[in-house]
Formats: sequence, structure tokens, C-alpha cells
Amino acid sequence: MPVNIHIHTTHRQYTDGQEVVSVEGKTVRECLNNLIKQYPKLEKALFAKKDKLHNNIEIYLNHASAYPDELSKSVKDGDEIHIVTMLAGG
Amino acid sequence: MLSETEKVRYDRQIMIKEIGEIGQERLKKSRVVIAGAGGLGSPIAIYLTAAGIGLIRIIDHDMVELSNLNRQILHWEDDIGKNKVDSARIKLQKINSEVKIETYCEKLTEQNVSFLLSGFDAIVDAMDNLATRYIINRFAVENNIPFFHGAVRGFEGRAMTILPGKTACLRCMYRGDIPQEKFPVIGVTPGIIGTIQATEVIKYLIGIDNLLINRLLLFNGLTMQFQEFRVLKNPDCDHCGSISRKE
Repeated sequence: MPVNIHIHTTHRQYTDGQEVVSVEGKTVRECLNNLIKQYPKLEKALFAKKDKLHNNIEIYLNHASAYPDELSKSVKDGDEIHIVTMLAGG
Repeated sequence: MLSETEKVRYDRQIMIKEIGEIGQERLKKSRVVIAGAGGLGSPIAIYLTAAGIGLIRIIDHDMVELSNLNRQILHWEDDIGKNKVDSARIKLQKINSEVKIETYCEKLTEQNVSFLLSGFDAIVDAMDNLATRYIINRFAVENNIPFFHGAVRGFEGRAMTILPGKTACLRCMYRGDIPQEKFPVIGVTPGIIGTIQATEVIKYLIGIDNLLINRLLLFNGLTMQFQEFRVLKNPDCDHCGSISRKE
């Protein structure tokens, strides 16, 4: 059973509208790498540089914050990753 | 003690067993400060005023502009050009003249945060930028004042309640600065999130459990879904990591 990555609304323009993408991987980083292999335009939307997510990107693993060191967190088949963008408006 | 007029005015909420006359008296004795009188600040202030909070302080340095009116429901066409806090105070006093409304037309900064936010039972986040939110978060954590966070963008919003020393704070997930932007928003989004924040404030003041602590609530109006994520206190947080709540 793969890992399901839930794509934030603002990023679905890069995933052909897909809300959930199934990937393989043993860490969050591997899963995101495999997501980006399927949808290369996501890389710039998620990463400021190699191994550094943009400051407004939050990763939740099985509905819990994966911060800090989220990219190195281990995942197993059936896990759920949510990519969320931080909000600042009021 | 509640007056006879107050017992009539708040009858429908006093009927709620979790509130009752004791809860209403707690609201009457409470002091709440709302940082911002815009999209979030409008519903927060309206519902807290209607609920009978004893004293509400509102802080905002902006004037009302035409482009505010799609979401900042405390401000009307006639208010364009007025200070937001003056516009807000007039409406709120008409909603409930029993509530004391204090206003400060000032920009919240590290220099004046202590003067503006000290002595309150709750601080409500109705800001439009992260930098000021972090100033408030630090003050709230260091001074042991519950902080009720909310933020919006487009059809999306989020809310979380912070009890200093006990729960994750806004800074626990800090990854670095995010540039301030002119953010898109439809008025119903801050309407929903601000109302959730006001609900949390009322529950906290009365002593009702099940607050949004260590729980980040996300709302997506496009899919009409709420999601909840668990957030834990970060021991290395530069705001709350090394202190504990003073009892």
C-alpha cells in the first residue's frame, strides 16, 4: 500500500488537479521526491533550495505536525502526508 | 452579580447549562483585547460584545478603505476615511452599551506591546501579518495570557488556541519569515474563523473544556471541509520552549 500525499488547493495546478497522489518512499523526503518526479513543477512550489522547504510550507504526517526535521521523518505504507500552506491574512 | 436587565438580555445563553448565571458573570468580569479591527476583528468583536464581555480593547492603526468593505463587516460605506477603531466602537456600543469598549489607534510593535496588551484575560489574534502575530505570541507566552490565533486566505482559514506553558504556541512551527502580501479573501472566511475564535474565547473564560489546544483547525470553504491536525509543543521553540505557565 503506497503513501498518500494530499495536495493543497494552491498546488493542484501543478498536479493536473489531483487532490491525492500515491507515491512510494520510506521517508517524507523520498515521498516528496517521487511526487516531484510525477509532477516536476511542484519542486519550485515546495522547495526554496535542496532539502529546504519554503517557509510557508507545512507538512503533516498522519494528521500530526512533522515539524521539525519533517523531511527525514520515516513513513510506512498506508501513511498520509498533507502538504499545507501557512496562512497570514486577517 | 447580574442585573435584572442583564438576566433578560442574556437569557438565551444563560439557559445553556455550560454557561448559566455563573458563566455569564464570568464573561462580565472578563477583559479581552482584540489585536486588529479588520476581517477577523469584526466578527470577533461583534460576538464578544453581544455575549457580554465586561471590557473589550480593540487595537488597529488603519483607516477604513473601500476595499475593506467586502469582509470587514464592522465598517460601512459612511466610515471610509475614519479610523477603524472609532468606526468599530460606535457600532459595538450600539450592539451592547453595557460592554466597555476601549480603543487604541496604534500599530502594535515590540515597543508598545506591553502597554497595549497587559492586564487582559485573553488576547485575540485578528492581525493581517505574521510578524506582528509573533510579537503578540511572545508577549502572551511570557506573560501567561491565553492567545487565540486565527488566519485566513481566500476560502481557507485556520484557528488554534494557545495556553502559554501548556500547549504549542504559534512559534512552535516557525520556519522563518514569510513576506507580507496583499492576500485574496472573501468575507465569509474571516466570518467563520473569527466566529470560531470568539467561541474559543467564550469557552475559555467560562471554563469549558475541549479547546483547540494542540489542535490546528483548518477550514476550506471551497470543499466545505474542516480538517484537524495535531501540533505539539516544540521544546526548542524560541518563544515557549524554556518557560512554563505560571499558576
